[in-house]
Amino acid sequence: MFGALYAAEGTDHVVLESVAREFSPRIEVCGPREITLDLSGLARLFGDARTIADELRRTAADRGLRVRVAIAGTRTAAQLFVHHRAGITVVEPGTEADALSELPLLLLDELINPKTQNPNPKSQPPTTNYQPPTTTLRQWGLRTLGEFAALPADEVAARLGAAGVEWQRVARGEDRRPLVAAVPEERFEQTLELEWPIEGLEPLSFVLGRLMEPLSAHLERRDRGAAVLHVRLRLVTRAVHERSLELPAPMRDARTLRTLALLDLESHPPDAAIDRITVAIDPTPGRVVQFSLLTRPLPSPENLSTLAARLAALMGEGRCGSPELVDSWRPGAFAMKPFAPRDSIVIHSRHDTPRHRDTETRNLVTHLDASVPRCVVEVTAAAAPVVALRRFRTAMPARVRVEDGRPVRVWIDRRGFSGGRVATAAGPWRTSGAWWEEAPVAPKPRSGEHGPVAPKPRSGEGGPVAPKPRNGEHGPVAPKPRSGEGGWDRDEWDVALHDGVSYRLFRERDGDAWFVEGVVD
Amino acid sequence: MANNNALALIETALRERKLDRTLTSALPPLERSDAAAFIPFGVEAIDAVLRGGLPRGQVSEIAGSPSSGRTTLLLQLLATATRGGEIAALVDTCDRLEVASAAAAGIDLDRLLWIRGESFDPLHSLRTRLCDRVLERAIKALTLVLQAGGFAIVAIDLADMHPRLLRSLPFTTWLRLQRIVEGSDTACLLVTPEPLARSAGGLTVMCTGQTTWTSQQTGSSQQTGSQQTGRGHRVTGLETEIRVVSPRRRVDGEVRFTAVANDY
Repeated sequence: MFGALYAAEGTDHVVLESVAREFSPRIEVCGPREITLDLSGLARLFGDARTIADELRRTAADRGLRVRVAIAGTRTAAQLFVHHRAGITVVEPGTEADALSELPLLLLDELINPKTQNPNPKSQPPTTNYQPPTTTLRQWGLRTLGEFAALPADEVAARLGAAGVEWQRVARGEDRRPLVAAVPEERFEQTLELEWPIEGLEPLSFVLGRLMEPLSAHLERRDRGAAVLHVRLRLVTRAVHERSLELPAPMRDARTLRTLALLDLESHPPDAAIDRITVAIDPTPGRVVQFSLLTRPLPSPENLSTLAARLAALMGEGRCGSPELVDSWRPGAFAMKPFAPRDSIVIHSRHDTPRHRDTETRNLVTHLDASVPRCVVEVTAAAAPVVALRRFRTAMPARVRVEDGRPVRVWIDRRGFSGGRVATAAGPWRTSGAWWEEAPVAPKPRSGEHGPVAPKPRSGEGGPVAPKPRNGEHGPVAPKPRSGEGGWDRDEWDVALHDGVSYRLFRERDGDAWFVEGVVD
Repeated sequence: MANNNALALIETALRERKLDRTLTSALPPLERSDAAAFIPFGVEAIDAVLRGGLPRGQVSEIAGSPSSGRTTLLLQLLATATRGGEIAALVDTCDRLEVASAAAAGIDLDRLLWIRGESFDPLHSLRTRLCDRVLERAIKALTLVLQAGGFAIVAIDLADMHPRLLRSLPFTTWLRLQRIVEGSDTACLLVTPEPLARSAGGLTVMCTGQTTWTSQQTGSSQQTGSQQTGRGHRVTGLETEIRVVSPRRRVDGEVRFTAVANDY
């Protein structure tokens, strides 16, 4: 036995749904004002169908809703009646076709419209140029559902196809599919009021463990993972200290979640003692993981998350991750992003692997690409290594003797950097940029982007005293403090000193100061 | 009769003292020699001399002075590992990594975990407490990454730390690292100014190198020593010679390779 509720315009959908759930746990939302219910078993509670319908209408009226109620042996019949008649309609099971025979044909349009009837509209492509089914039927002279239902099915199929046969079944009140019950939104949240306020991470660790265990079990029952973890701590000062952790991958292991929460609170501790703890999780469907037999497995996202959190607590925020090149000509510009490697399949290039192995690998990749998106990495033949530069994030001031426009001797007042006579030099290579940007007064590097930091003149550290430059010698007369942003204008030199060490130097053109940027190694 | 013949054979073998070799020659070798036990450098000449590359499950070292090619070799190793689909980690004690160099070397940056230490000048600073703290954090970070597992290479760049400071570390530090990686597929690599760990199973490589220059006017290549500093000179590369100094790892000699310069 099925029922249908059809509410008036402007009805609160949430209230309508709550009314339906009071009578049955199996309900399907068919539209913003329409709900169908499975009423099986309610006869023992309420009595006959008429009594159930009265109770439904009375409960809705108590909530301020005006609804039409229809009860029939099939969902389709109940929906057709509730669209046609106001008030309460009860049809005996098995008599749906006869009861529907006099109803107008236009009801088919309201029921079969894909926008309102499909419980999963995203699963079907949007229909363009949709024509209501009754257009053709009315041209044939049909006016009621009974007339349409009486037509021979094979003739209808020959003229309207399989869709026409389906419409005919709807006209007879037959269900096209079973009821798809709507699952109520669940909350994944646990709260604990403490009898005595707690301070410190150690007691908090026990409490968090106690809260995470049931949450983890709940997630497992629902085959969900945690996408975001919220920890709300109510302090004795009545303030609320809230932290939200966005997890790199869905996870539900209680120990991992507790560790991540503790590591985060270690970096962002609350100001006062805690007397109430709430842990909430934003769920997401669990991961489907298929490991490859051909490549080494990557560490699980849980392990990587925990490692990243521990490293951040040890080295500081923003100091760990994957480097990223940025679209900038600024020397040494880069950005940091979270470390999140993807699975990959390696294709070896032809000239260093047997041909049959290459073919097999490509065939495997083609097959897997159809099902799982993969990052294909091509390993080329061994190329010559590329010379690396070791860059000093803070450029070191240097004193340079220049003759005929070229450096001939370098002094670096740093222990471990000897300086000396220049054996070979290449340059100058002029570079400049961002001259249109104003250098900020207080150096404040943007998050994720870094550049050469201003070599501030130091005191008390044995730094360069900046002796008076002799004839032909240029040095840090007044090393100009530069920020991570703003323009740069300099001449770069690659120099090899007599002791064999090669440096990259640069001269600030506006201040004539020399600096060591890095070491070729 | 058959038993007598067998007995005679055994006695003959014992008399010629060949029986012990007959028994032990069939035992499997103590060290793995299959290709999967090594991480190749990606340079054919080097891998041929080192018989495969960097051994997994061991602590190895690349040592040398500035401009000897240590960092070039390190980036080449990371590039080979990451291009092969594995992940690598670099504990950059003094924050020296040039990202453009890493990209030019072919490292898949998405598969590299970069742990940046504090950007300061360890060779100059008189604040030894700062040096100790930075070094301690770097070793802790290295330990965390090794314990997490799953990485092909975990390297720590100690090239700019003062040798006296590194020598003051207890030797058990390196033994502890060896115990962590033993039996795993992770290779631990130290980049140092001088050999430190001297791991028995690992590879210790000394680098010596010289920058090569060329004159755009003549097109010839020459090494340092020339006083001619014409406008046309530019760096063409870095010639590095690597020599294995590990006491037990057998290699076939020294190898020299040339790294090419990249415009960055």
